[in-house]
Amino acid sequence: MNLFKIISELEKVDPEIMDRLTHRRSALTALGDLSKKMALAAAPIAIGSAFNKAMGQNTLTTVAGVLNYALLLERLEYSFYDQALKAATLTVPLTGAARTAIETIRGHELAHVTLLTSALGTAADPQPANGFNFGNAFATYANFLTFAQAFEDIGVRAYKGQAVTIKTAGNPNNVLQTALQIHSVEARHAAHIRYMRRGATAGNQTAIMPWIMNADANGAPAPVYGAGNPVATFPAESNVAQGGITNLTTALGATYDAADVSAAFDEGLDSTTVTNIAKSVVTF
Amino acid sequence: MSDSASSFPGRPLRRRSFLRVAGATVASSALLLAGCNDDDDVTPVTTSNTLVLTANTVGLLNYLYLLEQLQAAFFQKVVDAFPDDFTADDRAAFTDLRDHEVIHRETLKYTLDTNAYDVNLGTNALAFKFDSFNLSSRSGAYAAARTLKDLSVAAYNGISRMLLTDAAERVTFQAHLKLLVKMASVESRHAAFVREQLQSNSFAAPDVVDTNGLDGAKTPAEVAPLIAAYLPITLNVAALPFI
Repeated sequence: MNLFKIISELEKVDPEIMDRLTHRRSALTALGDLSKKMALAAAPIAIGSAFNKAMGQNTLTTVAGVLNYALLLERLEYSFYDQALKAATLTVPLTGAARTAIETIRGHELAHVTLLTSALGTAADPQPANGFNFGNAFATYANFLTFAQAFEDIGVRAYKGQAVTIKTAGNPNNVLQTALQIHSVEARHAAHIRYMRRGATAGNQTAIMPWIMNADANGAPAPVYGAGNPVATFPAESNVAQGGITNLTTALGATYDAADVSAAFDEGLDSTTVTNIAKSVVTF
Repeated sequence: MSDSASSFPGRPLRRRSFLRVAGATVASSALLLAGCNDDDDVTPVTTSNTLVLTANTVGLLNYLYLLEQLQAAFFQKVVDAFPDDFTADDRAAFTDLRDHEVIHRETLKYTLDTNAYDVNLGTNALAFKFDSFNLSSRSGAYAAARTLKDLSVAAYNGISRMLLTDAAERVTFQAHLKLLVKMASVESRHAAFVREQLQSNSFAAPDVVDTNGLDGAKTPAEVAPLIAAYLPITLNVAALPFI
């Protein structure tokens, strides 16, 4: 992958890209790091993240806005699992308990779509006209699970990032609780997908735990675990500062591993960063 | 992942707390449960052997603190004496779970500061009771973990709505909400994992996720009787501001 060629191509489309990259060196470092870990096909995610450093933020202020955002993500996830279950490339590896698990998850995503559509009523956004194109996500079983981990973990971050917005948008507590009950199910999915990646069919990746240690992407796109905007509100998953405490590894009267501290807390992400990451890997 | 099996000590009592302990009759069970301090928001408890949570955010956070103490104590107990049929993976996972719960507990304790109900008594002053569980076998340990984890998930899902946004709490509710939801999804990850160890594809089975694709949510009033068997005291959550 020629990083500079990609930047150059971007400059043709967006002459101000280098100005938007708040920190050229860090952006290139992120791209370089990414190239070692992930398939070339997912490279646009890194670029999306670079944009977000300058442009990302939580832009939703109404309950309907948040719910339509959630609806888009749920539609994306449902389509992802539906396509996976129908993909010829996955017929052989995605069998038995693994297929049942994915069917269960697809069922939940569809239930979420139905629930959100119903709650929004006439305010519901239409489906993307051309559906969702996931590129080479279904090429192999391992690749499918890597994408699934990314979608589930970022789904958890997306809902979490809207909790305060919902609570402050006239304090509709029923909406907040429902959103958190979905958020909780997405976290169950994320944990299970991560667990499935430990299996033999997925390559015995036993370093992967159901929880997120540091900002380890485990081969998924690194920006899924990175910081949003503003960083202080939406830090990376490696964050060890919580509840106004600067560093939990040392502040609690004992020393804790950063991996354990970061795993004990999941982080939220702003809607612009989430959407840009999604758009950079999925065409819709 | 830490592979250390050592127990984590709690945060040392601060000087002010220590002085209060030194000058108080710690042996009194009423004081044990009082959570008394210099915050006007907190109503001292008068009933012996009962922990009465107060009608504000301090009450809510103490409720979560108690749940995290309970879970930390549980996983510590298993880690202290792993079942014979625990695999290396089981040990590593339970050590992680113990670590996460201890970190949750200590974070809430730090957040509550002198408002923690047990501020005068150090970490895990309550001796939780797990004798209703069979912790000598792998299946028993995971079954117990499943019970506690599903309960914890539902408790977290049921409490965020209760954070008050009125004038008195306006400054802090956003910070508290953010903190709670960050821990909540980790509880869900734990629950999915421990369930799966007992039964394939039970990570989000219909007994915990309903037909709308929603996880459970329980109010403190619903949770209190379900944890009563593990507590050496009576938990009174009637005053918590359910909204």
